[in-house]
Amino acid sequence: MKITSYISVAYLAIFLPASILLYTIVPKKARPFVLLTASFVFFWFISEFLIVYLLISILSIYLLALCLDKLKKQRSAALAAAASKEEKKAIKSKNGSKQLAVVIVGVLINIGILAVLKYSPFLFTNINLFFRLTHSKLAVEVPNFLAPIGISFYSLQAVSYIHDVYKEKIQADKNIARVALFMSFFPILMEGPICRYSDTAEALYSGERLHYRNLTFGAQRLAFGAFKKIVIADRLNIIVTTIFKDYEAYDFDGGLILLGAILYTIELYMEFSGTIDVVIGSGEMFGVTIPENFRQPFFSKSITEFWQRWHITLGTWFRDYIFYPVTMSKPMKKLTKNARKKLGRDYGPMPASIIAFFCVWLCNGLWHGAGWEYIFFGMYHFVLISLGSLILPLSNTVLGKLKIDRNKWPYKVFCIVRTALLVCIGEMIFNSRGIKDSLRMLRIMFTQFSFKSLFDGSILSIGLDAYDIIILFVAIAIVFVVGIIKEKGKSPRQLIAAKPIFVRWPIYIGLVVFVVVFGAYGAGYLPIDPIYASF
Amino acid sequence: MDRLIEILEDIQPDADYETCTTLIDDHILGSLQIISLVAEIEDEFDITIPTVEIKPENFNSAQSLMAMIERLEDEG
Repeated sequence: MKITSYISVAYLAIFLPASILLYTIVPKKARPFVLLTASFVFFWFISEFLIVYLLISILSIYLLALCLDKLKKQRSAALAAAASKEEKKAIKSKNGSKQLAVVIVGVLINIGILAVLKYSPFLFTNINLFFRLTHSKLAVEVPNFLAPIGISFYSLQAVSYIHDVYKEKIQADKNIARVALFMSFFPILMEGPICRYSDTAEALYSGERLHYRNLTFGAQRLAFGAFKKIVIADRLNIIVTTIFKDYEAYDFDGGLILLGAILYTIELYMEFSGTIDVVIGSGEMFGVTIPENFRQPFFSKSITEFWQRWHITLGTWFRDYIFYPVTMSKPMKKLTKNARKKLGRDYGPMPASIIAFFCVWLCNGLWHGAGWEYIFFGMYHFVLISLGSLILPLSNTVLGKLKIDRNKWPYKVFCIVRTALLVCIGEMIFNSRGIKDSLRMLRIMFTQFSFKSLFDGSILSIGLDAYDIIILFVAIAIVFVVGIIKEKGKSPRQLIAAKPIFVRWPIYIGLVVFVVVFGAYGAGYLPIDPIYASF
Repeated sequence: MDRLIEILEDIQPDADYETCTTLIDDHILGSLQIISLVAEIEDEFDITIPTVEIKPENFNSAQSLMAMIERLEDEG
């Protein structure tokens, strides 16, 4: 069996039900091992022998965390026996260096495997390019490694585990099966979310029995995820592919390119958040709360807020393991103190934070892929977020003078639309075929902008008919309404569950029927591969 | 406590630090303010705030901040 997506018959109709069945029939003590076996089998289905890299990661963090634990115990014992302050200081310093060395080894192993498998072809290609540009006859052979699916996700989990043990946020786990399950729980393997040990490890290993409510709520989330992916994303894929691949052949104007950018962003959201719905729903069925990865991102009023609502677990990972460690390092703290004296309250923290933003967005771009277009994507957000921080004090002054209230709806709507457009342009860069292609699309968008092709019937000639467009409108409206309900702090699933049975069940059945009847599958449709699984 | 409130008011004037317990949850203090706050607190109280202490529980109110400062002072 080959599983290529969570939203597939192989996963939803075979793998997941079989895992649930096995989990139910075995005794409580055996349940974590059912999950672990299922996870390794799942990994085999998606990446076969490349499972060896996952096993190396698991073993490395397990052993290194135990090593850290031993060092911490040695330090406590030595400190208790030490008499003078100097002696204690020397113990702390020596032991601290050893612990740091262990963490560095852990990061080097896990990020090292990721870097070699994912980035060495890009690096070597650019070295050859450099040789050619300098008319050198030197050339290096570009390696071609196979990387397991999901390596970018579980490698970050591995680093967070070792870091959190080092910082004493969590204790080193003596049970390798629990560490392995935290790293490899099958719903999160392909597209995350990036979980922390403290989020999921205990619940995964507890072997709690299944509950009817968890199963039904999980199933609803699964159905809604499938709805987003099959009805919306797969349908949008036709028009998006045409615009991004053939925009020059069709001689599209800037209006249609902008439409392509908007539709691609919607497609990406529906595909990724739909898959995450299935992931979280799968976890919920086993009684495991997997962290949310999206919180209505298109209601964001700034790019910073957008990244607090989109791919949340990646953003918080970069915040905790890059942004704060950089800004809170000794040289950066010193920089902030000096800058506050010279630049004042508003601009004082800017130099350190801009340096940290640069590190975060370079890594964020590279995390998404080894290519210049991804670095460009990261730098685009770096510039937008840095500019946003820099002009915030000025824009506050201007808004105050113009008597515009930030909290009133017209200004909020303006901010939401502006943010959404900037995000769409960023995603267009992300989905382009390279940096030259993205610049060409940007140039057409800004120099040949026109609404003509949006209204002269061109849209109907590139893959979707009026029937598809109506279904898209209805389906996107449903997702939008669900988003508004959640934005108001309510749970759509709980609201539906509180309704009488003759209202509740037609809604559940209606959702499944909608997916089956209006799903974009079969002749004429080309389902998209899971976009984030390739990262 | 008064010294801490002064620092907070200098960094972000628009909040009632005596009563507010949602400084992080309600985005009153963003990451830029936290960077300034950590630098100022370290200077004023002669302590080092490790990154592991930068979490909402410690930064959501002036009281929780003060408790963290006192704890770090005791740890030396």
